Amino acid sequence: MLTVIQNIVSFLLLVLAQVLILNNIQFLGFVNPYIYILFIISLPVRLPRWLTLILGFAIGLLIDTFSNTLGMHAFSSVLIAYARSFIIKLFTSIDEGNNPTPSFHSFGVGAYIKYVFVMVFLHHASLFFLEAFSLGHFWLILFKTFLSSVITILIILGLKSINRR
Amino acid sequence: MRNLINFLIQYSVLILFLFLELISFSLIVKNQEYQKSVFFSSSNAAVASFYEMSNSVVEFFKLKASNESLSEENTALKNEIIQLRNKLAAVTPEQKDSIRFHIPPEMEYKFISAKVINSSTNKLQNYITLNKGLRDGIKVDMGVVSDQGVVGIVKTVSDKFAVVIPVLNDKIRINCKFTKNNYSGPLQWTGVNYQYANLNDIARHVKFSLGDSLVTSGFTNTFPEGIPVGTIDNFNIKESDPYYTISVKLAVDFRTLSHVKVIDYKNYREQRYLEQVATEK
Repeated sequence: MLTVIQNIVSFLLLVLAQVLILNNIQFLGFVNPYIYILFIISLPVRLPRWLTLILGFAIGLLIDTFSNTLGMHAFSSVLIAYARSFIIKLFTSIDEGNNPTPSFHSFGVGAYIKYVFVMVFLHHASLFFLEAFSLGHFWLILFKTFLSSVITILIILGLKSINRR
Repeated sequence: MRNLINFLIQYSVLILFLFLELISFSLIVKNQEYQKSVFFSSSNAAVASFYEMSNSVVEFFKLKASNESLSEENTALKNEIIQLRNKLAAVTPEQKDSIRFHIPPEMEYKFISAKVINSSTNKLQNYITLNKGLRDGIKVDMGVVSDQGVVGIVKTVSDKFAVVIPVLNDKIRINCKFTKNNYSGPLQWTGVNYQYANLNDIARHVKFSLGDSLVTSGFTNTFPEGIPVGTIDNFNIKESDPYYTISVKLAVDFRTLSHVKVIDYKNYREQRYLEQVATEK
């Protein structure tokens, strides 16, 4: 029950932070961090996968509605919500009975950083390519993806290291 | 049958995943026709009033700059009134006997002032939301300007809000010309920096120099002639190219944009109709 409430609160806080603060941060003119995906990243490991997908779709659609990009964030969020369990399996070995929330402590520092990196990069790359809707600006988009990913990852790791549980 | 059910259960997550992605993707594709999706965008009343609230806080920090620009504009307008009064006084006696009524060309335009309540500058396709809509007289395809220059074109209108496609959107092209020699070409954003855009189709023989200013050409019926667009920042031309590549520094700072004016061109319908009839025959 406690985790459910915690997750609802983090859902609301992350959406508000994204929409009111981070969407206005435009470092170098086009670098825009998207930290709302921390919600998907931090869901409990053994949460049913269908629920993860639905939650990813919900938060993506909400962010879309606020930033006039209907469908783009929803697409990328669902993508990483689906890829999540494979990425977790790839980098960690968690026993069957356990159901930890991903963190430095439960995954180990190295595995957690790798996990966050892959999730964020996958999300940003799919988002920016969808936004352009063509391969015409390929290198520009790859550059944008890289810069934004680095900043998002730094913010997420920073938040996580302050908030050790 | 049992096999089918087993199959569905086994792959239920994958099927859900594909289903959700399909929904998202069809939303994106549909959304290319931006006008249709007023509901899921920031001209949706609920979302827009939320932005309006947050904007009222941000607005407070911009008050000083806004005030300055307003008072500057005020003085400019007052000066103009005095000049016009003088001219009118000189002209009036002669016009007493003229009976015919017509709108002189310089009164065809009316300005509707509006406030920016949401905008972005960091995407390939940026949009701006205004706090006025249909009930204030804003219609689709009207031009939008600020005190500094051209902002964009109205794309969607709901009852209380309007969404504008600004110059910072690679879908829009604004025709502009040199103030010096009247050569014109389309201006398009490059997608990188919110301060610069490219001017295309300026032929090799045209003479211009750095710092020359560009204004709207008046060839489209959205903007009247002579609204500032920007200044030439940089240009180059390859031996083999017939056209210059010109980088233009935009007159409007889209990051600090907060008050704009929507242009209501009274003869828009008539001109549009006439042009359509002409091309049909």
